[in-house]
Order: sequence, then structure tokens, then C-alpha cells
Amino acid sequence: MFADYGQILVFMLFAIAFVAIAFFVALFLAPKKPSYSKESTYECGEDTEGETWVRFNVRYYVVALIFIIFDVEVVFLFPWAVVFKELGLFAFVEMAVFLIILILGFVYVLAKGDLQWDKPQPVIPELKRQIFKVDSN
Amino acid sequence: MIKTIDFLNSIPLLIISVSAVITILVGSFYKKSTKYVYAVTLIALIAAIYYSFGYLDKEYLIYNNFLRVNNITTLFSIIALFAVLLSTLSAKAYIEKEEINFIEFYSLVLFSTAGMLIMIQSYNLITVFVGLELMSISFYILTGFLRKRIKSNESALKYFLLGAFMTGFLLFGISLIYGITGSMSYANIFQDTSVFKNPVFLIGSALFMIGFFFKMGLFPFHLWVPDVYEGAPTTITGLMSTAGKIAAVGTITPFIVYTASDNFRLIFSIIALLTMLIGNVTALAQSNIKRILAFSSIASAGYILVGVAAMNDLSIKSVSFYLLAYTLMQLGAFIIVSLIEKPAEGINEYRNVDIEDYKGLARTNPQLAIPLTIFLFSLGGIPPLAGFWGKYYLFYAAIQSNLIWLSISAILFSVISLYYYLKIVVYMWFNPPANGDVYKIDSMPSLSILIAAFLTFLFGIFPQYFFALFKTPFK
Repeated sequence: MFADYGQILVFMLFAIAFVAIAFFVALFLAPKKPSYSKESTYECGEDTEGETWVRFNVRYYVVALIFIIFDVEVVFLFPWAVVFKELGLFAFVEMAVFLIILILGFVYVLAKGDLQWDKPQPVIPELKRQIFKVDSN
Repeated sequence: MIKTIDFLNSIPLLIISVSAVITILVGSFYKKSTKYVYAVTLIALIAAIYYSFGYLDKEYLIYNNFLRVNNITTLFSIIALFAVLLSTLSAKAYIEKEEINFIEFYSLVLFSTAGMLIMIQSYNLITVFVGLELMSISFYILTGFLRKRIKSNESALKYFLLGAFMTGFLLFGISLIYGITGSMSYANIFQDTSVFKNPVFLIGSALFMIGFFFKMGLFPFHLWVPDVYEGAPTTITGLMSTAGKIAAVGTITPFIVYTASDNFRLIFSIIALLTMLIGNVTALAQSNIKRILAFSSIASAGYILVGVAAMNDLSIKSVSFYLLAYTLMQLGAFIIVSLIEKPAEGINEYRNVDIEDYKGLARTNPQLAIPLTIFLFSLGGIPPLAGFWGKYYLFYAAIQSNLIWLSISAILFSVISLYYYLKIVVYMWFNPPANGDVYKIDSMPSLSILIAAFLTFLFGIFPQYFFALFKTPFK
């Protein structure tokens, strides 16, 4: 039983060696011609503007959390759909219970008003000093 | 496949989880229904205790062998439910005083209770993990429930980060155990005893234990306890220090007692000794009453581990009796602390929780000073009270297993503990009043204090009543 882990060890060693070799070969063989656009942060091909450390609206996180929950739900639904025919009614009831629990959570979020974006009036802080220095060149 | 009979065999768990979901839904639609939600919570807890008594002489494996109902799991479930009931009874006055009177409070308490029940009744490593997480995540939120107070936020963050880290240990332990035995179910893990000598299995169980030692607040993993207990809302501190501990102890004690070999007795004994040492000696230097009670709860975890380390027939008996006695006295003390505490004016500190503020309490508020004295005497182990018999049974169990050195040092440590318990009593009775405040006591907190004080006396004078009540686990 314990010796079976030897295969995993060999697999791991191969994986590490493969990545390391590919990495170092690229380091030695690749031509190096650095330029301004190559060194700058990748932002879908556009020129970068401002700092990366900006404060996101907290509501994005609520949406992100809800998204993750339903994302995971879909992950569970795929294998369920594959074996649905063999399991029949049992599988249907099980998944219905699972979905109902998730929907209850969603109803809670809705009823709390966490998805209503323009309800609370935000207090916009006064900008006393310039945070980002814009380089002219 | 889940059968209908499974639902009938897990009525307390269903009551608690369904009422948790219903309260959070009703509460989100009707914001003014806090009073009814409070009533529903209490009714659900009482009903769950009532139905639990029916399972004391049963033996089931339910939900595809994921949960197990037998006399020992039911015993620990009843004690945990009782602790939750007592603290919820008194919680309403406190959260109204602190203006955190939200429905989510009750529903999170119910969710954490469901987690405790799942954990205690688990028969599979996955269910242990799910129950533990359900309980812990509810506790993380409840710890930070005073969201405008920095202390509360700080303790919630500390608790969450450390708790999440320790969950990693637990999961790694589970994965190692699974890797060796090829199964998550206890039935298969404990089938073949030769696996217990496998070093990887031992590392896995040690990591698994570490996760639970963290929840119990045992020695090398106790550092979160004082900070979190100090920062959490006081009723939640009471809930965490009693019900949370009962759940953790109730989950692993049967396995240590029935399956661990005697070789591990020394390890548990040393951890128990160091926990008692750290808890009792550090408490001497504290002046905040919540911190004193936090260190006393660390010391109590050490006493409980003395009984667990005994690993004989008396272990479960003594541990469960001590847990009930500990619930009564620790929770009673925390309820009184929560009544004396004043709502904060600023956003930082808890007010009126220093032991200096307890000076002359007997003269200004005898109705609070008398029960607090009873609870502190009981925590110190003064004879006619439940705490004395709790310690007596634990140390007796240790003596039965030839752990005489451990029993003697435990008794010495409980003598040390008398100093800080009696210091509060002296402050209350023999010092002039610090201020003339008379604290308002609502009917519900006074009811829970009365119940706790009455049962402290009852189980102190007639400890056999406890064993008569739970006859079957102690045959």
C-alpha cells in the first residue's frame, strides 16, 4: 500500500524536472531585446494607466461570492447530469434539495437588499492631495 | 441511499437545522420579528433536547453511515444543546443593550449548534470536517458581531486566521489517514488495528488531533483563547467556551478512550499538565475578568484531558459530568459578566469588565454577587458544589489508571486556581463599592442564572442524579 506512493514520487520528480528544464533552456536560448512596451504591465495590449492598487467597490465582492456559489453548483450539476438516467428519481430529489438550499441563500441575499446597487448613498471622500503622480514622459 | 427512517432517527439535528434556515429567511423579510425569532430559537432548542432524550438507549447508523446515534453521542449532544439553550436565554438582554439585536444572531447560533450536533454524531471523517467548519464559521462571524467595536473585529480576524490555519492541519491529517486506510468511514478505519502502527497513520492522527486541540484550547494551541474570548461579545464568549468545547471534546473523547493504545497516555498526560500549568499560572496575573475566565477555561480543558488520558471505563463518565458542571458554572459566570458590562461609548473597549469594577458588588447588587460567588466557588472546586464532584471524578479516573502524579499535580493546580477565583470574591464582599451602580436584570437572564445556580447546587449535593438521568451510557 505504502509502496504505491513511489509512483507518485516518480511522477512528481518528472514534473519538477520538466518544468525546470523548460525554464532554463528558455533562459539560455531565447534572444533578449527588452523594450518599453515589453517591460510594462500587460493590460490587454493597452498602455497602462495609474496604479494597480486601486480600491474596488465592496459590492464586487458580494457579486463575486454569489458567482462562486453558483459556479460550484454548476460543477456539481455536470457529473450529476451524466449519471442522471441510471439513478432516476433519487438523484433528482437529492439535487433538488441541494438547489433549494442554494436558492434559499440567494433569496436571503435578495431580501437583504445586497444586490441593489444604487440604494445606499455613498459618501464621496474629498481628495486632499494628489495620490497618483502622472509621469509626463 | 437515504431512507425515511433516517429522518426519524435524527429529529434533533433536523429541528435545529430547519429552524436555523427558517429564522434567517423570515428575519430577512420581516425586520421587526426579532422577538418571535428569539422564541422560535428557544422552542427549537428545548424540542431538540426533549427529542434527544429518546435516543439515549438507541444505536443507529444513519444517512449512509455518515452519522451515528448512540448513547454517548446523545449524551454529549444533550449537554451541548443545554449549554446553547442557557446562553441563548440570556443573550437577548445583552444584544439589545449593545444594539446588535439582529435576527442573524439567533440563526448563526442555531447553525453553530447544528454543526456541533453533526460533529458529535459523525461517523465519517468528512462529516467531522463539515460539522467543525459549520460550527467554526458561525463562531467567527459571531465573534465579530459587535462590528463597530475594534476589539471585536480584531478578535474575529485573529480567530478566523488561526482557525483557518488549524483547519489546514486537520484536513492534512484526514488526507493522510485516508491515504493509508483507503476509507473515510470510521467503520473501515478502525477495522484493522495493525494500521495503527503505521507511522504515516500516526502522523495523520496527530495532525487530526491538533485541529481538535486548537478548538479545545489545549496547551501549545491555546494562544488564541484569551484574545478571542476577551474581544467577542460576552454571551458569545460564554457560548464558545462551553458549547464549542463540549462539541470538540465529545467528538474525540470516545475515540481516544476506546481506540488509542496505552502508549499515548503519557503524551496526553503531559499536554494536560502543561495546559493546567499555563492556564492557572497566567490567570493569576490578569485583571480583566473576561481574560481570567478565559484562562480558567484553558485550565478546565487541562482538567478534562486528565480524565481523557485515564482512558478507562470512568473516562466518559467523568468527562461528561465535568462538562455539565463546567457549563453551569462557566456560563453562569459569563452571563453575570455580560449583565455587569456597560454598553460602550467609544468604539474600542468593553466597559466595566475589570475586576476593580467588581469591588463592593455584594453591597450594591447582592442578587448578582451571590450567584457569581457560587459559580466561582464551584470553578475553584469547593465541596458542596458541582465543580468539586466534576474534578473528583476526573482525578479519580486518573488514579484508577495509575496516573497518580498527574492527579496530585492537578489537585495542586486547582489549589493555585483558588487564588484568582477567591480574589474576585474578596473584591465583591470585603471591599467598599467602586461605584453605586445598580444593574438592571431582565427576567430571562435571571432565569438562566437561577437554573445554573440551582443545578450547580443540585449536582453538587446529589451527583448521582446526573448518572441516574443518563443511565444507559454508564451501564
